[in-house]
Amino acid sequence: MNSIVKTQGLTKQYGDVLAVDNLDLEVSEGEIFGLLGPNGAGKTTTIRMLTGQTTPTSGTATVANHDIIHQPTKAKQQIGVIPDISNIYEEMSAWDNLIFAAQLYSVPKIEREKRAKELLELFGLYERRKDRVAGFSRGMKRRLTIAAALIHKPKLLFLDEPTSGLDVQSLRMIRTLIKELNEDGVTVFLTTHHIEEADQLCQRIAIINKGKIVTVDTPERLKASMEKRQVIEVSFTASRGLEDKLKGLSCVTDVSMLGDKCRLQVDEASEAVPSLVDFARKHFKSKFGRSFR
Amino acid sequence: MIETLKENVLKAVHIAEKDAKIYFFKGPNITFGLLFPAIIYLAFSVGRTADVSLVIPGLVAMSSLFGAGAIESLALPLERAKGTFDRLLAAPISLTTIIVGKALGGFFFGIFLSIGYMVIALLLPGAAIANPLLFAFGIVLSALTFSALGVCISTPFRDVPQAMPPATLIRVAMVFLGGVFIPLSAMPGFLQLVAYLLPITYAVDMLQQATTGQIFAQALVIDAAAMILFSIIFFVIATAVLKRTLR
Repeated sequence: MNSIVKTQGLTKQYGDVLAVDNLDLEVSEGEIFGLLGPNGAGKTTTIRMLTGQTTPTSGTATVANHDIIHQPTKAKQQIGVIPDISNIYEEMSAWDNLIFAAQLYSVPKIEREKRAKELLELFGLYERRKDRVAGFSRGMKRRLTIAAALIHKPKLLFLDEPTSGLDVQSLRMIRTLIKELNEDGVTVFLTTHHIEEADQLCQRIAIINKGKIVTVDTPERLKASMEKRQVIEVSFTASRGLEDKLKGLSCVTDVSMLGDKCRLQVDEASEAVPSLVDFARKHFKSKFGRSFR
Repeated sequence: MIETLKENVLKAVHIAEKDAKIYFFKGPNITFGLLFPAIIYLAFSVGRTADVSLVIPGLVAMSSLFGAGAIESLALPLERAKGTFDRLLAAPISLTTIIVGKALGGFFFGIFLSIGYMVIALLLPGAAIANPLLFAFGIVLSALTFSALGVCISTPFRDVPQAMPPATLIRVAMVFLGGVFIPLSAMPGFLQLVAYLLPITYAVDMLQQATTGQIFAQALVIDAAAMILFSIIFFVIATAVLKRTLR
């Protein structure tokens, strides 16, 4: 399968902040590819670099076989972009928004009017086509933003947090649409911080954290590898160096602090629990029973 | 090559059309573009007996300066704040085309305002334009230069409250130093030097020659060349600044 997106060492630095660190990715033509990670992981910055909205600090990226730095116009002609926040012109009508979007992609006049009508009907906005977008609900604005991104029939669609903050009806509609578009041959590159969404929609997922790709695999394989690991949450009275002490336990593979709780990643919970009890007895002798639960 | 150029020109026109629909009648554009030149002019000319041949070019050049620039000082930062500017960045358009498109909106608004103020000025007793064709050429060149200046000033800003004060300050300073109220010959030597570094000086001079009919070919060529050169410089700076903001 041909690559439609390919990045090598793609990096973005904002001052002292390394937003995306040496990203190597390959997205095949025809797939739904998900970039999954928490807020601030570098998902939006990655999309912004791939869609020419910000210049990478270093590295290369090709989108639809065109270098995004040296041939940005050719690359952008092939893509549709749906940002995390709807960015249509609220002062204009739904119809004018779509026509303007089509003009930016040089869609011929007859074709753009036909396409605008089709899309407005598809998204249930045709009756409101003459209304100013300012009066639309969030879901309607989202639908119109998606319609504007599809006006030129892109080969590749970038969606940044496509269902974020939407009602259940709009959410279902957008997920169904993503699947239908993909069946029609559109490659989809989406970002999300919902693991369920990535699981339901994507054929492959890249997990990104602190600007780095942690792993890339199919949802099923990722879930299988996750299932091998088990998580125990414990709460101790605050103690200096607690995290490091827990990391020193042989049964613990990773520790993260969540408020007053410690989330411990272990390979086998049944073996880890007795070790944790011993650990609590040793370090919290006088308060044991009160502070360990 | 010609096809690409045609496509880019069309896209720039579409951006200008969109800006016209959205911003022409927005409050800040009306205040800073339409009313501000009139207020400044009235504030500094009431009670003075100014020669009508100086009033027309001064008023028209000033309306072009404010009118052509106001829309960009509003549109560019507002779109960046709202995120709609990202639509343009993600579309298959070069940064230069975006800049030209943004300037075009101001260009047309500048011409529209200049004509409006010209008509008002012509109602003054004894007012007349000796060379209307040259005057029209002056209006077009002024609007081109001042719209390019407007884009250049507003490109670095990401919000309207940030963009408006420096833009207004620069324009007001230009008005006082560029021969709108005080003829260049009446200025001290060093201020005359400063005046020659300002595009409005050349706009006022060309419009003045058209109004009086006292044409100096060499001065006209310098006026036209200076305005075109300023426009190119402003477009190049604006594109470079926009490129830099994407880093």
